[in-house]
Amino acid sequence: MPPDKTDVLQGTLALMILKTLQTLGPQHGYGIARRIEQMSGDQLALNQGTLYPALVRLEQAGWIRARWGASDNNRRAKFYSLTPRGARQLAAEARRWETVAGIVERFLAPSEPRS
Amino acid sequence: MSRLRILLARLAEWLRPRRPEELDDELQTHLDHLTDDYVRRGLSRDDARAAARRQFGNVDQTKEAVRDRRGFARVDDLLRDVRYASRLLMKSRAFTLTAVLTLALGIGVNTAIFSFVNAVLLRPLPYPDADRLVSLFEARVGAAPASESTHGSSIAHDAEANRITVAPANLGDYARLTTQFSGLAGVSLVGRNLTGAGTPERLLGESVTWNYFSVLGVAPALGRLFDPAEDREGAPPVAIISDGLWRSRFGADDRILGGTLLLDNTPYHIVGVMPAAFTPAMQFNSTDVITFWTPAAFPADLLAQHGDHEINVVGRLAPGATGASAQAALTRVSEDLARQFPQSNSTLRAFISPLGDDVVSKVRTSLLILIGTVSAILLIACVNVANLLLVRAVARRREMAVRVALGAARSRVMTELVTESLVLAGVACAVGVALAELTRRLLVAAAPASIPRLTDVTLDWRVLAFAALVSLVTGLGFGLLPAWQAGRARPVDALRSSERVVAGTWVMKWRNGLMVLEIALSTILLTGAGLMLKSLVLLNGVELGFESDRVLTANINLPVTRYPTADDRLRFFDALAARLASQPGVDDVAFANRFPLRGGWETGIGVDGLNLPGDGSIDVASQAVSPGYFRTLGIPLVRGRLLTPADVKTTEPVAVVSDEFSRKVLAGGDPIGRRFRRAPTAPWITIVGVVHDVRRDGRDSAITPQIFLAAAQTNLYPVRIADLAVRTSADPRALGATIRSAVLEIDPNQPITAVRTLAEILSARAAERRFETLLFALFAALAIVLAVVGIFGVVSYAVSQRTPEIGVRMALGADGGRILRWLLGRTAVVVAAGAIAGVAASTALSRFVTALLFQVQPRDGAVYAMAALLLSTVALATAALAARAATRVNPTSALRTD
Repeated sequence: MPPDKTDVLQGTLALMILKTLQTLGPQHGYGIARRIEQMSGDQLALNQGTLYPALVRLEQAGWIRARWGASDNNRRAKFYSLTPRGARQLAAEARRWETVAGIVERFLAPSEPRS
Repeated sequence: MSRLRILLARLAEWLRPRRPEELDDELQTHLDHLTDDYVRRGLSRDDARAAARRQFGNVDQTKEAVRDRRGFARVDDLLRDVRYASRLLMKSRAFTLTAVLTLALGIGVNTAIFSFVNAVLLRPLPYPDADRLVSLFEARVGAAPASESTHGSSIAHDAEANRITVAPANLGDYARLTTQFSGLAGVSLVGRNLTGAGTPERLLGESVTWNYFSVLGVAPALGRLFDPAEDREGAPPVAIISDGLWRSRFGADDRILGGTLLLDNTPYHIVGVMPAAFTPAMQFNSTDVITFWTPAAFPADLLAQHGDHEINVVGRLAPGATGASAQAALTRVSEDLARQFPQSNSTLRAFISPLGDDVVSKVRTSLLILIGTVSAILLIACVNVANLLLVRAVARRREMAVRVALGAARSRVMTELVTESLVLAGVACAVGVALAELTRRLLVAAAPASIPRLTDVTLDWRVLAFAALVSLVTGLGFGLLPAWQAGRARPVDALRSSERVVAGTWVMKWRNGLMVLEIALSTILLTGAGLMLKSLVLLNGVELGFESDRVLTANINLPVTRYPTADDRLRFFDALAARLASQPGVDDVAFANRFPLRGGWETGIGVDGLNLPGDGSIDVASQAVSPGYFRTLGIPLVRGRLLTPADVKTTEPVAVVSDEFSRKVLAGGDPIGRRFRRAPTAPWITIVGVVHDVRRDGRDSAITPQIFLAAAQTNLYPVRIADLAVRTSADPRALGATIRSAVLEIDPNQPITAVRTLAEILSARAAERRFETLLFALFAALAIVLAVVGIFGVVSYAVSQRTPEIGVRMALGADGGRILRWLLGRTAVVVAAGAIAGVAASTALSRFVTALLFQVQPRDGAVYAMAALLLSTVALATAALAARAATRVNPTSALRTD
């Protein structure tokens, strides 16, 4: 089934979350949101609330795990971390994304003038 | 893969829900972090908080989105709705009680009737792989169908109509020359006198071919089945007995095997006992219980007679065979037989039909009509409840509008209302099932025993599933209407002050439509009941032509082993009649082969001076009777003389004929002195008298030509003299004991059976019709009661809606009578529409009840008019009662309510 718009978006958000957790280690929701915004160079106006349903889904799929802990400014926060299964999923997703991105890139590359 | 994991995770969450505060805390922390962030960027605390909220988005929406993902929020919603609906319903008890009772009535009668349909029509016969069992019968093809209404129908239908029993001579060929059956077994009912220990008893049994039990797929509880060797002429007699007989007669003694059963003075070696659960194939056609089986052991001369049709045949299709392939093979064999034995078989073909079809065919029509009837009742109940819900929905429309205005999803509001209806239906289902069980017990107790498989009528899982399904469908049916109405709720309505304004004209239109439907349905049921009732009245008015109230009859079957000749039997009956004639209370005594209502046969006769077509004979109903026959039955003499004790073997053979015989067979002229004979070489029998016509087979039978032979002069007859009747001016049933002791005084080993007055037999014959009529009348009454309740509700509500208008009219000078006429005028239009629709629908549906009617046209105008008139009157009276409240309206207060 070809992925439609929301699928791509949702898949993208999941990919970003998983990558964030791999790079930064355990993070709370706010930390993940900030990281995604920073990495996008503030080009992505993330409605931060949309993050949480995605987190629930990733947790239910067993790719991330949640644990309560204290944040750096000593607030009680829920920390999410990548599971081994999540790491594998991330690798697979990343490969898939690169393939797709490569294809799209070739499509969008300036075409050779025809003779 | 991950889908399954997610599903399992959600299931775990659903079973152990998280605390909602957890999510609140998490989101709050996120917001706090965001706020800190903005404060660090230099915003004031308050501005930072606002900016954080903007950045975060809608917190409630997030919570809702997360909640939707966790567990199964929809199920939780449903449970919450159910709890909410239950609370609401508990609050309005009057509404709930009315709705539940109305629905429960509808569901209850439907479930009860379905339990009959289930037992009689749906449940397979109690044999393994019962769908592979067939009934084999023979039929004359090309002959005119026995009933008149089958013109132009299919061959199969004609075969069914001309169905006759099978000749044992043909059965062998059907079994031997086809490979389509794993077995074909012959079976016929036999009666035998049981003597030996205890009082003599008349038993009903089946004479069967040796493979009968294995074809049905049943095994004995004790002992063994028959051997092929035992099913041969001259083999030592053996018997298998029923569990019931084993218990009642032999004290459930295991040592019964090897014992003997004395039937008609012949000792039968008992080889087996059948289990209690076994139902013999012929039991479905008989109200008397079958208690023994003996091998048919067809005599050689019978096996040579292809024209002698004596037995019923059950068969089991071979693995791989279908009904069609078996039928094709049978047709081929029958055609071969037709070539081989043209005299007896030229028009004869064998047919099969699923076993049990013939058993239920007679009740199928009644049951299907009953299903239609109770469906109509359920529909009326639904209409009433839909009405009630509509009133509630209108009353709650502002509430709904407010909720929609405040942002509640329409779908949520509608779901809530449908849930409420389903909760109602659920409770009604439970009450309905209880009602159904009660109804079932009453019906089974009241039903005539002639309805097949009555003992199988139970509320099994199928019936319960039916009740649940009906409840679900009705709950959705009447629940969608108010839900749809709520779906139309516009937020602006919330701002309007008056509820009355909200109840738009479309609501009234709906309600009028529902009322028309109720009246129409009730009219249909009432018309049906009226037709049945008229049939019953007409039937009871039919003259029988003989006395039935004061005549007690009994069957005394003398076994050939003890009374080998006709003279022996005549001596017994003469002695018995003489003995009884002197008893106090006995006015007349007579004996015959059979008395009216107790069986009958036809004899082929040739008439002197009459050139009859074909082989020169005509089949006429005939009986051999004693001289007292006509006096005992009160059949008057029309001309000539009756039979007398002087008509004996040594005198000229004489007979008495019926009026119809002299009209139809002799075609007028003086019948006295005319002669007929029963075979080309038999002696002539002279007609000496003509008696009045009788309806031999009961009120719904036709008058047929009949001849009465002198019992003392007749020794050739298909059934031996066995029936006795006494006429008394006292209570006839008191004479039963007198007859019994008189018989035992003459022969202590002779049982007597079927001791009944003719009136009792008549009543039992009419029992099915009476029962059906009673059911239809009750259901029609129930429909009318429900319709009255519904109409009352609609009209009272309409009045309450129009109170201000009425107030204005009264203030302007209209008096009570005028208001009433105005209100009733509107109702009358609706009632008339309903009655007309009902009559029209009845006309269209009437052909379905034709089979249940007796001498009543399915479109009997008087019945239709009565039904429509009765229902209109009741409806208008109800409306008037409900509208009376309007005439008591106080104009001032009426105007103030707004």
